[in-house]
Amino acid sequence: MLFLQLLVNGIQVGALYALTAVGFSLIFGSTRIFHVAHGATFTLAGYVFYELYSVAGEPWIAALAAATAGAGIFGVLVDRLVYAPIQRHEGSFFTVFVASFGISIVVQNLVGTAFGRGFVSISSPLSRSVELAPGLYAPPTAAISVLAAVVCFVGLHFFLTRTHIGMALRALSENPDLVRVFGLDPRRLSSYAFALGSLLVVPGALLTGATAGLSPALGNHVMLISLAATIVGGVGSLRGAACGGLLLGLAENLALWHLDPQWSEAVTFVVLFLFIIFRPAGFFGRVATQ
Amino acid sequence: MIAYAMNLATLIAINAILAITLNFIMGYAGIFSLAHALFFGVGAYTAAWIAMHVSADFFLTVSGAALLASLLSLALALPALRVREVYFVAASLGLQVLGSTVFAEWKSVTGGIGGVIGIPPAELFGIPLSDPHAFLALALACLTFVIAVTYGLVRSSFGRSLTAIRDSESAAAAYGKNVALIKTLAVVVSSALCAVAGALYAFYLSFINVESFVLDTSILLMAMVIIGGTGTVLGPIIGTVLLLLLPAGLSYLSFLPHTEIGSIQQMIYGLAMVVLMIFRPGGLVGGRSLGERK
Repeated sequence: MLFLQLLVNGIQVGALYALTAVGFSLIFGSTRIFHVAHGATFTLAGYVFYELYSVAGEPWIAALAAATAGAGIFGVLVDRLVYAPIQRHEGSFFTVFVASFGISIVVQNLVGTAFGRGFVSISSPLSRSVELAPGLYAPPTAAISVLAAVVCFVGLHFFLTRTHIGMALRALSENPDLVRVFGLDPRRLSSYAFALGSLLVVPGALLTGATAGLSPALGNHVMLISLAATIVGGVGSLRGAACGGLLLGLAENLALWHLDPQWSEAVTFVVLFLFIIFRPAGFFGRVATQ
Repeated sequence: MIAYAMNLATLIAINAILAITLNFIMGYAGIFSLAHALFFGVGAYTAAWIAMHVSADFFLTVSGAALLASLLSLALALPALRVREVYFVAASLGLQVLGSTVFAEWKSVTGGIGGVIGIPPAELFGIPLSDPHAFLALALACLTFVIAVTYGLVRSSFGRSLTAIRDSESAAAAYGKNVALIKTLAVVVSSALCAVAGALYAFYLSFINVESFVLDTSILLMAMVIIGGTGTVLGPIIGTVLLLLLPAGLSYLSFLPHTEIGSIQQMIYGLAMVVLMIFRPGGLVGGRSLGERK
């Protein structure tokens, strides 16, 4: 029974990790920007929703709209105001990475100063657990997480295969020079990638807030997971990132079967470390290690 | 006031060793490690263990700490040889998180969250160094030693091979450089010297716990190197001095609430990283490019 319970928890967490990781992977795949501030977007979206829904008592739909808009705008602004000027003069991998890291440090501390460093929880009737079978509990948010992941992935799939912007984004990840020759503006496409990737953190941020709670340091954890899922799944593959996220969510929870909770994050990184050493291209990867 | 200044000076000397050794692999070998605090921790715990169970002789504890750190650093060298950029950053992050968990959970050696208390003062030739003046002198001597070794290595043919590998690994290999050996040696030297700072830290505070060796420390060290100037001799030292004087300076501004000083310090260096990367990626001392040239 414990195993089944952990499996249910693992699927819920895994679905949310998958969404966040796909956002990160979409940005990284199409723009080659190592956007570690993706975790900051996650924290911001969660706290905007918390402030409006739990503190100010606005209807959830308004809070959701605000959190979504906030995430998208933050992503695009970071791209426009920080990454674009850096890429104009050199844009080596480390320069962009360091700037992105700086942003996440600033956001984490701003949120900590404004809301306190402890955990806050978005309480809603949906986060109360229901007994599915004797000894097996799951809150409705578990079903919502899986549903949200499926809806977002189907939507994303159609967007990337059927719309002009979606196809242009895929082209950008294949061959940026050809996109430029074709007369499309990579800078504009980059903004689309950031908006879209950042929107994908919203379900994860809200549902994490409703189940495990939010804290300013959560951004770091989200960043580590997205990064790990992207690599485990194979850089450049969205399907891989989704599978990687699910796998890490499951690994983290199933580890509790035999290990103390303090070790669950370490388990994630053992998985990641082994992948990097033995199969750096990931499940679905196509790029070489260099 | 004098005691306060000496305390700050000792901490600056210890942190400068950490920043210089991190710069050695980041700035010259292009190995962007987020696991530096791990080797700092290994050095500190090993020194504490030797001092409490075997002998507090400074040379013995430092050699032990450096030896163990260099052996464990092979775990960092392994991914550094196989992969680059994103992959390596992720691998070093993983090692750091794993290491902090081990520090917090291996209670019989590290004391867990409670830490190791009652580390005896270091002994030099049988004389215990309990006087803070003498300890500051020892820390400065170690700093000088580390600067001399790293500067010597960077200026030697080994250093030139390192920068060659950083700028183009395949070109260096084509010139007959043993890329794997040179990279491994760089990681081993950096970790061994980093452990010296760990030993100093353990003796200085006579108390250590896991909080000094977590990811946040690795990030702070990275900020010191980057803000000062990656791949320069003076940069890491200037970065260390600035970032350690920052909280001291902020505590003089009486309008800031005391509980928020840590946050404000982090916000300032986070912002400094962003602004420097946009306008001056080489850091305060360096030029317009960071480490690896495009």
